[in-house]
Amino acid sequence: MIQQHTITTTQKYNFPHPTTDTMLPQRLIQLSLHTLKTVQNNTIQLNQQTIQQPNMETHTIQLSPKPITLKPNRTPTTIAAVDTSNIKIGETPTGIIAAVRGAALWKQNKHYHYTRLGPFIFHITEENKRQLYQTLANAYLDTNNTIHAYPLNLTQMPNRIANLLEKWLQTTLTKTLTNSLILLDGSLTAGTPDTPTPLMKETLINARKRNNTVLAFSKMTNLRANGYLITDALPPHTPPYILETYGFKPKPPTVLLGEVYVAKLTNGNYAFRLDIDKEIPHEQKIESVQKLLGNDHLQQSYPETLRLAHILCTFTANEVIAMQHFTTRHYNLKIVNRPDMHRLLFGPYGKGDLNA
Amino acid sequence: MKLYKKEGNILQILSFPNETAEKGDYLLVEDADAGKALIAQVIDMQFASIPGVLEELLRSLPDGGELVQGEDFDPLEIAPHITYIQDASLLICKIRATIEGETLTPSSSWLPSRSQSTIKKLPIPTLLKLTKVDGKLPIIMGSTKDASPLTIDASSLDGRLNIITGKKETGKSHLSKLLMLNLIGYGATIVVFDLNGEYHSLGMTSDGKRNTYYDKIHVLTPAQNFKVALKQLNLQVLLGILIHALHLPGTSAREFRRIWQSLKERDMLNLHELGEAIRNWHCNQHVRDALFSRYHALVNSGFFTDETGGTMLLEECLFKAKEHGGAIIINLRNTSTIDRQIVVEYVLGKLVELLTSWKLKAAFLFAEEAHLYLRETYWDDIVTRMRHFGIFTTFITNQPDTIRENIYRQADNIFLFNFTNEHDLEVVSRAARVDAETVKSIARDLPPHYCLTLGKVVKDFPMVVKVKTLDVKTMGETRLFFKNAD
Repeated sequence: MIQQHTITTTQKYNFPHPTTDTMLPQRLIQLSLHTLKTVQNNTIQLNQQTIQQPNMETHTIQLSPKPITLKPNRTPTTIAAVDTSNIKIGETPTGIIAAVRGAALWKQNKHYHYTRLGPFIFHITEENKRQLYQTLANAYLDTNNTIHAYPLNLTQMPNRIANLLEKWLQTTLTKTLTNSLILLDGSLTAGTPDTPTPLMKETLINARKRNNTVLAFSKMTNLRANGYLITDALPPHTPPYILETYGFKPKPPTVLLGEVYVAKLTNGNYAFRLDIDKEIPHEQKIESVQKLLGNDHLQQSYPETLRLAHILCTFTANEVIAMQHFTTRHYNLKIVNRPDMHRLLFGPYGKGDLNA
Repeated sequence: MKLYKKEGNILQILSFPNETAEKGDYLLVEDADAGKALIAQVIDMQFASIPGVLEELLRSLPDGGELVQGEDFDPLEIAPHITYIQDASLLICKIRATIEGETLTPSSSWLPSRSQSTIKKLPIPTLLKLTKVDGKLPIIMGSTKDASPLTIDASSLDGRLNIITGKKETGKSHLSKLLMLNLIGYGATIVVFDLNGEYHSLGMTSDGKRNTYYDKIHVLTPAQNFKVALKQLNLQVLLGILIHALHLPGTSAREFRRIWQSLKERDMLNLHELGEAIRNWHCNQHVRDALFSRYHALVNSGFFTDETGGTMLLEECLFKAKEHGGAIIINLRNTSTIDRQIVVEYVLGKLVELLTSWKLKAAFLFAEEAHLYLRETYWDDIVTRMRHFGIFTTFITNQPDTIRENIYRQADNIFLFNFTNEHDLEVVSRAARVDAETVKSIARDLPPHYCLTLGKVVKDFPMVVKVKTLDVKTMGETRLFFKNAD
């Protein structure tokens, strides 16, 4: 017996200007419930392992020797940030159960506000993965023709769904905010399966139309200068400052829609790769970082708004247990403990994926 | 509820928000396959150690100490599940017994199945039935947490040493009155050392009318309606007073014995002649001085008289109580410390005399703040020697450290009211019939008039009970300056 959940038909978001489309979240709910229906009365193997496995490819670039020093600009400016996360909460005989959540956070009049979407829980199988992704992509990416070109790995599916949600949240912010700074987690690289170039371009155009500036902070980078990661070997200057980079040419079909900088915004050994929309004037780029310094709290060189967005969307262990409780209760799943082969074969010496 | 851990006789049980259990509640951990069940009592409650809770609490307070304003769109309604898990608690339970078939044993040596055991609350009436806490002479103490009456057997107080303790104004005297009146109802003889004059109106209802106990309450006030004629006094009783209450040294006591016998042979036992005899007695000057000081203490107490009329009141009351049950209230209010000790020594000596000669069968002694009138070295005598004579004592005190540890070790029943002071809890927890964790954990959280009953009256199954009200005139209220301020 499947319990029918009450779903609010008209979604109400707490964004500054609630005039955005709600297509993707509605699709997420529908697909979440649809995929979960297929799993009822089944067995579930609990697993809290996160799936994010970044694929690192090193690129060599050059760093400008002269830093651009910055002065905080305290002109009141709304700072907004988006982040999403996903987690695998269990395995079934046919697939995996995963959860996705996203958060949009903005600082306005010195106060933080957020809208958090999810968790959306999916039962992803080899059978339904393509259809699931296609439905979501159609709802938002409009990439019906290109979707078949990319392989879809089952274990990467939660990441892909989370990416879709993230892109939707980013677009929503660019369409609703005005004269604001929009902080993204990651880079402004497009042309990947999850970030089609037209989509990213459109996002940036929308932002520019409303006089918003998009700044993307990467927590990890694979860009190197003189053999060192660009965030490691920095000239001795007093922060805050940014360093320009030259010579980064991603391999097609990947394109770079931003200028790449290294940002060291506070004292300490923290620096980040910062991508700023390429199409905006140089002065506006610098001014946007200065506005960020004047309007947001920065700790360890990282904007608090983005940090909070990340914190709000990540799943705690308690939430994972709660989601497992939800799925087992509502879909009558029976928890099974499959033997862990690493532990079984190697005992305390076995360190597999679970870092057992 | 789920069984989580067992360490020794401590069980840790995971409890979810919809499963309400409180300190003092009993749980039945039933293992159907083993055909056995554990009876465990909740002695403490903790938050369950749930991973991620700290992160969640921190996440809710990042904006300079204020909550971040926001909206959650939670389509699958996961939030209640998070709260459900976050609010899970860990019940720390003490194993009290094992049930196997119909048999109840105090064993905790087996391990129930963690996955298959069912855990449910054990209603107190069921527990009372299992443990057979009732008996032929029921005393309704009050109601348990699930509103069922707790009935103890009067015979479980018989021949026992009881302690009623707790901090001020928690209901100690109220319980002692309840036990006393019920014992009277079953024909028991009771002697009360009433330090604050709060027992003398037990024969009256709260609105001032006579109740069924009116004729069974005998109030004796020393130096007023309670005096002793020297002629009728037993030398052993008087020597007890001189040695124990007035600290007369052995050599002087020997001389006093001679003086007493000399006067008795001449039929001259009265206060005047006793004074004269001491004055003229051929003995060491120090001995004479020692005897004189004690003589004056006896005379000044006003408790001793040469007139024999009405001086047999204690014996009369005791015999009357022996026939129909009754309480002799020794009103020690407004009595000086030394006079109090003299009176108490006399009463104890007289009781021992009557009991050894089998004129009395047995007596229940209720002693409030006994440290104020009993010598420290006398306590052992009260609880050991006098028990064999048939004096069964109940100590009532708000200063548990004034009762020696060996008394706690011998206590059969402890009625424990609220204590917040760690030191007091530590003292009481040394009692042999109870485990320290139970005392410390449960007694600390008892509301006023709730009593943790321990010992033989509850067959060693500690129970929390709200002591029932009594329709008697209570005199133990504190006199207040601002009483009519409202």
